[in-house]
Amino acid sequence: MNEILEVNNLSVSFHTLNGDIQAVRDVSFSLRAGEILVIVGESGCGKSVLCKAIMKLLPSAAKIRSGSIRVKGADITGYRERDMQRLRGKLFSMILQDPMTALNPVMPVGTQIAEAVKVHQPKITKKELKKRVIELLTLVGIERPEERMNMYPCHFSGGMRQRSVMAAALAGNPEILFADEPTTALDVTIQAQILNLLRDIRHKLGTAAVFVTHDLGIAARIADRVAVMYAGKIVEIGTAEEIFTDPRHPYTWGLMKSLPAFSKGRDELYTIPGMPPTPHHLPKGDAFACRNEYALAIDYEEEPPVFRVTDTHYAATWLLDERAPKIPSGAAVLKAADLRNGGKQYPAGGVMKTGIKEEILLDVRHLSYTFSIRDKLSVKAAEDVSFQIRRGEIFGLIGESGSGKSTVARCIMNIYRPPGQGAAGGRGEADIRRGSDMEASGAGRILYKGIDICEPGQFRRNKRMLETTRQMIFQDSNSSLNPRMKVGDIIAEPLKIHRINPPRGSLRAEAEFQMRYVGLDAGYLDKYPAELSGGQRQRVAIARALTMEPELLVADEPIASLDVSIQAQIVNLFRHLQKEHGFSFLFIAHDLAMVEFLCDRVGVMYQGKLVETAPVKELFSNPKHDYTKKLLSCLNDIRYAPI
Amino acid sequence: MGRRILYFILSIFFLSAVTFYMARLAPGDPLVSYYGDRAKKMGPKERKWAEEKLGLDDPITVQYIRWLERAFQGDFGISYKYKTDAVEVIKGRAGNTLILGGIGFVLIFVLSLLLGVLCAWYEDRLPDRVICKIGTVTSCIPEFWLSLVLILIFSVNLRLLPSSGAYTVGGEGGIGDRIRHLILPMVVVVAGHLWYYAYMVRNRLLEEVRADYVLLARAKGLHKRSIMFRHCLWNIMPSYLSIMAVSVSHILGGTYIVETVFSYPGLGTLAYESARYQDYNLLMVLCLMSGILVILCNMAAQVINEMIDPRMGTAPATLKSRKGGRLANKR
Repeated sequence: MNEILEVNNLSVSFHTLNGDIQAVRDVSFSLRAGEILVIVGESGCGKSVLCKAIMKLLPSAAKIRSGSIRVKGADITGYRERDMQRLRGKLFSMILQDPMTALNPVMPVGTQIAEAVKVHQPKITKKELKKRVIELLTLVGIERPEERMNMYPCHFSGGMRQRSVMAAALAGNPEILFADEPTTALDVTIQAQILNLLRDIRHKLGTAAVFVTHDLGIAARIADRVAVMYAGKIVEIGTAEEIFTDPRHPYTWGLMKSLPAFSKGRDELYTIPGMPPTPHHLPKGDAFACRNEYALAIDYEEEPPVFRVTDTHYAATWLLDERAPKIPSGAAVLKAADLRNGGKQYPAGGVMKTGIKEEILLDVRHLSYTFSIRDKLSVKAAEDVSFQIRRGEIFGLIGESGSGKSTVARCIMNIYRPPGQGAAGGRGEADIRRGSDMEASGAGRILYKGIDICEPGQFRRNKRMLETTRQMIFQDSNSSLNPRMKVGDIIAEPLKIHRINPPRGSLRAEAEFQMRYVGLDAGYLDKYPAELSGGQRQRVAIARALTMEPELLVADEPIASLDVSIQAQIVNLFRHLQKEHGFSFLFIAHDLAMVEFLCDRVGVMYQGKLVETAPVKELFSNPKHDYTKKLLSCLNDIRYAPI
Repeated sequence: MGRRILYFILSIFFLSAVTFYMARLAPGDPLVSYYGDRAKKMGPKERKWAEEKLGLDDPITVQYIRWLERAFQGDFGISYKYKTDAVEVIKGRAGNTLILGGIGFVLIFVLSLLLGVLCAWYEDRLPDRVICKIGTVTSCIPEFWLSLVLILIFSVNLRLLPSSGAYTVGGEGGIGDRIRHLILPMVVVVAGHLWYYAYMVRNRLLEEVRADYVLLARAKGLHKRSIMFRHCLWNIMPSYLSIMAVSVSHILGGTYIVETVFSYPGLGTLAYESARYQDYNLLMVLCLMSGILVILCNMAAQVINEMIDPRMGTAPATLKSRKGGRLANKR
């Protein structure tokens, strides 16, 4: 037996004022040395809590209710903080989701790694310590480590920070590495690098890993075994091959079908209906029953026990009971779903696009935008970007973060000052917030309906038209909606600002209409944004933009911070709305699969330049630029193609 | 650096102008502070003569320009009340204030850090709760009342400490005597300010303790002590220093009540009186002094903060952190 971690019937609950919340319920699994176990599930399903509970890093409000955690045969369930301290770093360690906040901003990266080494080898000499830090930095693939170890986290890019976090986590040669969504906050290309690095390290050091993610696609890339979690329980666990070729739980089927690759060529992305339950009010019986199209009567009464499929594959669903009606196995279900839509195979992208007119709505000509700091250094956020969006067209803009996508979007929306007259130096809001001496200048022309929006005179004359017909949706619905305003007021506010008579009588009626239109219940009108989930908030942001009946909608990474299944819902909504309203749509994303599904034409940005523009089908089948090829290769680096 | 000096000069200039105009526009009779009660009995002719003598009959702008000219030559005019050079008046008392306020400031600075860390360490447990309760109660006690009670206990009843003055008049002086005179006023000054800053340190620390990097540090196996002192404390230093820089003049000069109750000859009383009795020249010097002090302290804090936190500098790093910041905000 080489099982280094065994979790048996673990339950964790949080004590809150509204009663106890069961975050993890009756979870059992084991981990072998050198194995990568991926835990998949939507946000709020308890996967992070599970990892932190094992390392005992939860706040004091969380209690382990029952169950045991055994590490290398020793039961650590009852260990106290001091005992755990000795185990942490040495036996297990952790990397976190957000590399931007996981490092102490006021301490050089090398020092942060060094102190992790020092904890476990207090007597190490300075020289050896330095050698070890350099060794660790080299291990995680940071070039020129001698130089970099004295730099601060703010000098590092996101990928490098995540590598440094990994170096710090690996400093004590841990046997188990918990990785809590380590790639979610990163770009596609960096994501692939980090995943490869994790695989490399497993080969070199034999470190076992528990990898938490909400993206089944990532699981397919690195997992040896996969556990699917739902509402605090592991509903299915098995080897990667078993899970991807023969899934048994309806929830796993749903997750698989939500992958955009699965819906390729179809009119709509598949989504699991409904929302995950809140842990306050878990339904009776199987928590997944109400979203499950195969639910049996017993699902609403009693929680299913765990059924054995093979020695390594277990699933908790009544469908596996002998008495259950025979449903074709998972693979067959997925195939059947495939066939159901198979009759009307559409070409990828450009589906049923009769709405595109020849009229050019937005014409960006040679747009350049430069940020400079006190004459010392300037960065070209956008350089000679030219593209056009026709009326009724969905134009996708992809590229890694920092490639200038947002800058272009903000120039189009006049958020960054008009670059038109060259010297007109404006300050982006981000820079004002930082209070730095950032100056910005730009050049080029942006024509919207033939109006040069960068020219102050023309802008002023058409101000009202420009402000009402162009709308923007931001990535982070959490910070783009005013937390002190009710949802209904947020949606109706643009009408108020522009003193437009609401077409449906009152502002409230208008807000209600828009809410229903984006698929939200009118009951949310009087709630505050914080009371809504991320997906619901993004719907509110969309409703707010649609209130003005825009002709051009600019969405800056609107789905990047959402769960995969919610992402699919929002993208479906975009597609639906665009078809109904016929607005032109600039969709900025770094998720290629979604762009492929949604857009008509795509522009690829790389280091401030628009390197390639092509119809979506052409771009994905025949990429011309090296960077596009690299992006696409990241997309196809999946071992188990979902059915 | 050049830009900073320019800002410094400009803000001092602005401060002097605002103080000069405000003081003269405020109601009150400057002649009273020069002539005392005699000013009230003066006839219109006499008054005019007196005003002319003190240069108070010209328009304010003219007066200001004249004052500026003299100030550039190092002549800040005489104090109306003390009839000597304003700078000389201040010199006599600055030492006392520097001792009381300066030591008080250092004590407040160190003690609030310690108390804050202590509270954050024992968050929501007994020591934290007790300290917070004491702090709330103490900061509600008015300074003059606390001073009087202390005098009553330690000077009147126990006869341990002197009740007033900065040193024993006619005594042989010496450091011991000074310290004995300093204890009571110092206790009042420190008790009055300490809790506010300690609370701030505590709350900022509690925010830091919940940050992601602390989780990582714990996952690395670090001891709580080194997380608290090496990680969290350094992270709150920039905001703490900025606040303390602003409060330097507040603590140093805002000792009016303490000085009055303990008859301690310091600048607090002087500043109050100069404003109260329109002793214009003295007021100007005092305002400029505290202004320069605040600005210098802010500059020092800025420089130290930049050394602690590289993101605050203006090196090329700013750009990367801007991107980083944006990314971080997205989430």
